[in-house]
Amino acid sequence: MSMEDYDYLFKIVLIGNAGVGKTCLVRRFTQGLFPPGQGATIGVDFMIKTVEIKGEKVKLQIWDTAGQERFRSITQSYYRSANALILTYDITCEDSFRCLPEWLREIEQYANNQVVTILVGNKIDLAEKREVLRQRAEEFAEAQSMLYLETSAKESDNVEKLFLDLACELIREAKQNTLDNNDTAPMPGEGKTISYLSCCSSLN
Amino acid sequence: MAADNLPSEFDVVILGTGLTESVIAAACSRVGQRTLHLDRRNYYAGNWASFTFNGLLSWIEEYKQEAPETAGEEGWKDKLEEGEEALPLSSVDSSISNLEVFSYASEEAEEEEERKAPLTTKAETEDTTDGPAEEPNVVTPDAETPTEERGQDSESPQPNEGGTSEPGQSEEEEKQQQPMSCLPEPPVEVKKKITYAKLLKDGRRFNIDLVSKLMYSRGSLVDLLIKSNVSRYAEFKNITRILTYRDGKVEQVPCSRADVFGSKQLTVVEKRMLMKFLTFCLDYKQHPEEFQDFTQKPFWEFLQTKKLTESLQHFVLHSIAMVSLDTPTEEGLRATQHFLRCLGRYGNTPFLFPLYGLGEIPQCFCRMCAVFGGIYCLRHSVQCLVLDKESGKCKAVIDTHGQRISCSHFVVEDGYIRDEQRKSTDYRQISRAVLITDKSVLQSDSDQQISLVTVPPLDSSAPAVRMVELCSSSMTCMPGTYLVHLTCSSSGSARHDLAPVVSRMFHVPASPGEEPTEGEDRPTLLWAMYFNMRDTSGLDSSSYHLPSNVHVCTGPDSSLGNDYSIKLAEAVFCKLLPDEEFCPPAPNPEDIIYDGEAPQGEGAGFEENSSPEGATEGSETHQAPEEAGEKTDSVPQENEAQNGEDGQTTTPEE
Repeated sequence: MSMEDYDYLFKIVLIGNAGVGKTCLVRRFTQGLFPPGQGATIGVDFMIKTVEIKGEKVKLQIWDTAGQERFRSITQSYYRSANALILTYDITCEDSFRCLPEWLREIEQYANNQVVTILVGNKIDLAEKREVLRQRAEEFAEAQSMLYLETSAKESDNVEKLFLDLACELIREAKQNTLDNNDTAPMPGEGKTISYLSCCSSLN
Repeated sequence: MAADNLPSEFDVVILGTGLTESVIAAACSRVGQRTLHLDRRNYYAGNWASFTFNGLLSWIEEYKQEAPETAGEEGWKDKLEEGEEALPLSSVDSSISNLEVFSYASEEAEEEEERKAPLTTKAETEDTTDGPAEEPNVVTPDAETPTEERGQDSESPQPNEGGTSEPGQSEEEEKQQQPMSCLPEPPVEVKKKITYAKLLKDGRRFNIDLVSKLMYSRGSLVDLLIKSNVSRYAEFKNITRILTYRDGKVEQVPCSRADVFGSKQLTVVEKRMLMKFLTFCLDYKQHPEEFQDFTQKPFWEFLQTKKLTESLQHFVLHSIAMVSLDTPTEEGLRATQHFLRCLGRYGNTPFLFPLYGLGEIPQCFCRMCAVFGGIYCLRHSVQCLVLDKESGKCKAVIDTHGQRISCSHFVVEDGYIRDEQRKSTDYRQISRAVLITDKSVLQSDSDQQISLVTVPPLDSSAPAVRMVELCSSSMTCMPGTYLVHLTCSSSGSARHDLAPVVSRMFHVPASPGEEPTEGEDRPTLLWAMYFNMRDTSGLDSSSYHLPSNVHVCTGPDSSLGNDYSIKLAEAVFCKLLPDEEFCPPAPNPEDIIYDGEAPQGEGAGFEENSSPEGATEGSETHQAPEEAGEKTDSVPQENEAQNGEDGQTTTPEE
């Protein structure tokens, strides 16, 4: 694909505990597949899907953890240059929800501070086994200034919406950034440090 | 983050995540070996790691608190079977020594917060700057400065993952900081003085490498990154200038054709002489008559016969060949040729540097290993090897959790080997200095230059020093600062070897925050660290008493390129799996692109409740891998380019 074949390229990175369905979300979105009983993520690096939003072609490069989350050993380089992070937990697994603050600390350390983060509660098809109430997750997401969505990779619930909404948000931010290049106002939910991009441009 | 048990059987267990170990891990996993990759540290890359500023302070703390070797045998006795014996590994790392830290940045609170900050906080007796000063061999020049004018210098240091927070920072102070952090950023027109508090506050903008190397654009590492497709995990920038220190001045070295012709410092005659000489060097082997009389003599003597002026001789010897006065002629010619061949592949100099620092590269290979099923565990080590008494081979390892894990091969970083297994403990050392400065050693139109500076020996007993100056767009330091790495082979301690160069080329404030005097045009030091790193690159398998299926990874070495470590990785891989290919290209099974249309995409956003579900998916098209081929100098993210990120990460020029 040559540079001209898309208007935007975004790198989206999935994180969250092992077994919450990260790979299934990606497979469902990019290939329309749900591989049941799939074990650890082997051989999957990143997947690409190009979507069209308001007449603009958006190429999404979606990266998976390659199993390094299993023993909390994700490389820092995995977070670099991600435009968006999908922080996933399993609504039927309290433990995967309780680990979220640990993940947020990693994000704060290594991800670009302009990164868009969305919290995803997956496996809503297993409603009868739900351990984390929706309201609780919503409150947590709001407190952390994250967007929140519940999905089912198995039933294909909200999976398209997740990625397309993310693409829309990324386009919106990219456009805004081009408009107010030198604006040092922090993005919503962003910490006190001014962003890389505005810093760099103010030096140029 | 889930508690989980490790499988108990692997083909290869690798301990240590430095460059060589990581390349071996990727290579093994890639050809289907069940690979377990461990590191006792809580970060990747071992002595190849890069740290945020705060992360580096934690690393310094850890260095000071290194526990003595434990000789416990309790953990593994019951894991051994008949006919087996244990060979313990080291639990401490002694590869770093002579660590000294100096802070020169002003200790005032940040300017915009000065008014609001309580100016005198007597309670705050311990400055974070002084943390390292508790170590007896660490000197901070500010020891005598009064604390009166200090404000909140503990501006929320971010503890590194699992690291310790800075001494002297109480929870109360943290609370005090809270409201201030909400203040709007001031306008940025005025060039602000960089305070120590600012370094801490923006600490995560730094990625400070323990090892300073560059990537020759036709060196083994770049070739391997391209061949294996690992290049897709990182982005690179060109080194923009080669500089040298000569007669007390920093000068730019003209090395490419464009540089030579564009140079204002060279006369027309010099330009012609230099071009003629460099053209000869490119294919010197075709002209043996030119140098055959000098094969037994130094390159330096040969240069003097080539009608080059003194400055040209300096450039060629120190900055292009980068050899010493006594290097033989052919070696000098070979080095010059290698340099010239690397020119122009990606830019005007022969070198690339990875964004976010060299420490990214081992991690990229680890990612490749993981993608092919390798299992990763940081903060996890091996206590001992289980040897079969009869064959003398390593059958299994016992990890730090007491689990026995069988393996056919064990690969280990030198730092985990006990002295009992060494035939000699007489090591070479590398001297390193890391500086944070306020401006470039050679200011130019652009403040975003990445420079290699060669500093010839200041006197006959001094070492030749290699300096790499990184700007903020290399993602290794905060805007308004430069990160400077100095490296040389040790003759004494790092400070002994390097401080003379530092004080020549930089303004070293007598007290923190002291303004340079009028007319001072050298960069001012904000912070400096010196340390020695053990150089084990001279060792090989004959240097250890170890089973034949235990492979030690030595290094990093002191040279500029990465050839040593990559060649070692390939050699170890060949011993492990002689019939397998080393790092064949990773296929791109996921480069299947669904050209989907999103009919509901209109107005879809988080605030709206539109439902893009059911977007129709278009036909599959197979696409050539985006970063395939030689496109190492990868394109920055689209939106970065749009946002005025300076465009040096752009497409490669072949």
